[in-house]
Amino acid sequence: MALDTAVRSAFEQVLEPRDVISDPVGCRAYECDGLTGYRVTPELVLLPRNAEQVAAAVTVCARHRVPFVARGAGTGLSGGALPVAEGVVISLARLKRVLEVDPVNRRAVVEPGVTNLEITAAASPHGLYYAPDPSSQQVCTIGGNVAENSGGAHCLKYGFTTNHVYSAEVVLPDGSVVTLGTDTGEQAGPDLRGVFLGSEGTLGITTKITVKLLRAPETVRTLLADFPSVRAAGDVVSDIVSAGIVPAAVEMMDTLAIEAAEEAVHAGYTVGVPAALVVELDGPVEECDSQFEQVKALCEKHRCTRLHIAGSPEERAAIWRGRKAAFAAVGRISPDYFVQDGVVPRTRLAEVLDRIADLGRDAGIRVANVFHAGDGNLHPLVLYSAALGETARAEKLSGEIAELCVEFGGALSGEHGIGTDKACSMPKMFTEDDLAVMQRVRDAFDAQNICNPGKVLPTPRLCGERPGKYKPHPLEESGVIERL
Amino acid sequence: MRELASSSDSAVTTPTKLQPTDLDELRSAVLDTTGPVAITGAGTAADWAGALGAVDAVLDTTALTGVITHNPGDMTVSVRAGTPLRELAEELSPHGQHVSLDAARIADGATVGGLLATGDAGPSALVYGTLRDLVIGTTLVLADGTVAHNGGHVIKNVAGFDLAKLMHGSYGTLAVVAEVVLRLHPVPKATATLALDCTLAEAPDHAARVLGGPFEPVALEWVDGTLLVRIEGTESALDARAARVAEVLDTDERHSRRTGSDDSAVRQNGWGAHAAAVRGAAGSAVLRIGALPSRLPALLASLPGTTAITAGLGTGVATVSLDPAGVAEAHALVHTAGGTSVMRSRPAGSDVPAWGPPPSAIAVLQSVKKVLDPQGRFGPGRFDPWM
Repeated sequence: MALDTAVRSAFEQVLEPRDVISDPVGCRAYECDGLTGYRVTPELVLLPRNAEQVAAAVTVCARHRVPFVARGAGTGLSGGALPVAEGVVISLARLKRVLEVDPVNRRAVVEPGVTNLEITAAASPHGLYYAPDPSSQQVCTIGGNVAENSGGAHCLKYGFTTNHVYSAEVVLPDGSVVTLGTDTGEQAGPDLRGVFLGSEGTLGITTKITVKLLRAPETVRTLLADFPSVRAAGDVVSDIVSAGIVPAAVEMMDTLAIEAAEEAVHAGYTVGVPAALVVELDGPVEECDSQFEQVKALCEKHRCTRLHIAGSPEERAAIWRGRKAAFAAVGRISPDYFVQDGVVPRTRLAEVLDRIADLGRDAGIRVANVFHAGDGNLHPLVLYSAALGETARAEKLSGEIAELCVEFGGALSGEHGIGTDKACSMPKMFTEDDLAVMQRVRDAFDAQNICNPGKVLPTPRLCGERPGKYKPHPLEESGVIERL
Repeated sequence: MRELASSSDSAVTTPTKLQPTDLDELRSAVLDTTGPVAITGAGTAADWAGALGAVDAVLDTTALTGVITHNPGDMTVSVRAGTPLRELAEELSPHGQHVSLDAARIADGATVGGLLATGDAGPSALVYGTLRDLVIGTTLVLADGTVAHNGGHVIKNVAGFDLAKLMHGSYGTLAVVAEVVLRLHPVPKATATLALDCTLAEAPDHAARVLGGPFEPVALEWVDGTLLVRIEGTESALDARAARVAEVLDTDERHSRRTGSDDSAVRQNGWGAHAAAVRGAAGSAVLRIGALPSRLPALLASLPGTTAITAGLGTGVATVSLDPAGVAEAHALVHTAGGTSVMRSRPAGSDVPAWGPPPSAIAVLQSVKKVLDPQGRFGPGRFDPWM
């Protein structure tokens, strides 16, 4: 059932007609985000050029009860930007101005389509940077980061998007425009800003964001250490924490992930070792140097087989290139893969990894592990071949891993979000009442249920029949065609 | 309680006092009453925000105490909301961990739930943020008896809406906070504070030199003619770092040094004066103000009849004591400067406005109140006249 012409022309009145895409080929470019297994072609795609047009477009949606889905760069990994059938996609790609960098108050005001890394680029002439650094930071947008409450490798010490956003101008689902948050950590009344952050596009669309900038640390020290086992590497992390050291980042990779990353970017990782640890400290030089010596000693105590200390910014960049390339790199060792995102209490890492290995063995599917070891955020990469008919098994395994994390006292998602992907797993982590209360708050923002409906919270429709779930074309299954 | 009965025209009966000792009792207490309810903790902020209206019952959370789980290796703790934070600190101390919050009233016995509900924070918010940054989960009891959890026990978690944030600054009007999960930080091995005498007008230049350098202060506050800068870190590095800060401040190392946590530093002269100023001058109204740091000194100087001022020149957060007659004007001035103001300490018997002009999202706040507490049972009057 197509949107009626009156609705279409209402959009064409508030946007320039050429900014309303209606041809199915054009719309198909928006049919999925980074979670490509789910695809829905929207009726229309709107490309507003400024905040006023976003508000006007949402007002039209509200008046006609047209569901809408906001979209940034489309790099999300949980189907949070999956379009809604008979709905519109509102792309924020054209709202990409850095409106202000204020070095005195150490903050920047940006539009949602600005990429994460562009903020740091704009701030760096002042010796400042924007701390949260998801692996996709070159392309992912700050609007998407706000929606997902994105983390990154450095969030153990520096926190998540929610800790770095002072305020957001938001177009509410009724088209009204409000500011959530203030210029400081002080607010009069409940922290609505904090509820909006990480709400995955279900409470409104942000059109302007004020972020905190930090002074670039005086010193950064990075090391890459190889270990004879994942457990030994995990013990180093425990000892670092026990010593009262809060590293800027602690990342771990297992054999498969190392192999893939090394093959892809030649970053100097040792192929074949059971585990590699990247530890980074930053801060005032005296502090950083003294703690770095402690970390080196701990690596040696746990019999690291190689200790490589980045001796230059280039060497540091190489270590990070290997880590950040790991997701995409597994494409080299497997035709298809799912990126999972779960969190466990850090102290249970080794146990959980053993269980994941068991599950993988039972399913006959390989799992590569890359994770933020400091905060227990796992990114198991479930490797499979669609051509060999392993898709369903791999998907099942991936879901089991996420739910295993909850079983261990952790969370379904650490940074990729619930979106479409995990909405039906939410009852594993929350009771019916917990979810009902979340729904109440959602209703307070969006009484008509038009703002990214069907995401985050499970619905009988979504979790019963699972319509719209992508089934590969038979030709894809046989490897004759592929989607890129 | 006593004050409440005497200050309310309509209340002829004394409110029933309910003091549940566990989650089930708390839920029953909420369900067993039908009328308006005041939620209280240790009472250290009873006169903050708007004056409570008439209530049938007072729900006292101070018997909901104790740590539920502490995972030292994961640096998280879940605790019942009526636990005084200072008691929690004592329990965590042997593990070298603490909640990185140094609000002045922690020393008075403020509870974890109370600190969250009032959005209170201290000078170290410069680095660690406020409780909204440290709370990773809550268990709530709504006015209809629904028990709802959100967040979890891991620091990194984006599953579901972050409703714990809604409790921050809600002053007991949306739900009863029953349990709180907090992220912890290591207690610093050593702490040093540098002090520089200067006027509030001179302070921003000094502050800029410190904040613009690589020193990473955890607190930077001006109070009563003195700029205080606190750094923390390892024993071996601290002296050299303090010397560098002293150099950039051009002060003759008038600094105090302590081994251990913020708590000991707070008891020292400079921070003691700071905590006293935050509590406020006797007989005055106390306002908490947030504004862009660059606008803060001029804004504070423009407020009428102030007697005590603390100014966080990095955070943009200030506390002022002022003549109750000047409160309405102060709210307006803060609002004009783009800032936020909240009443802390209404002088007894005075009728001062707790809130300034409402925020743009007031309609959302009212909707949230309506879905969580449709009958308006919790904390009547606290947000008067907003909701």
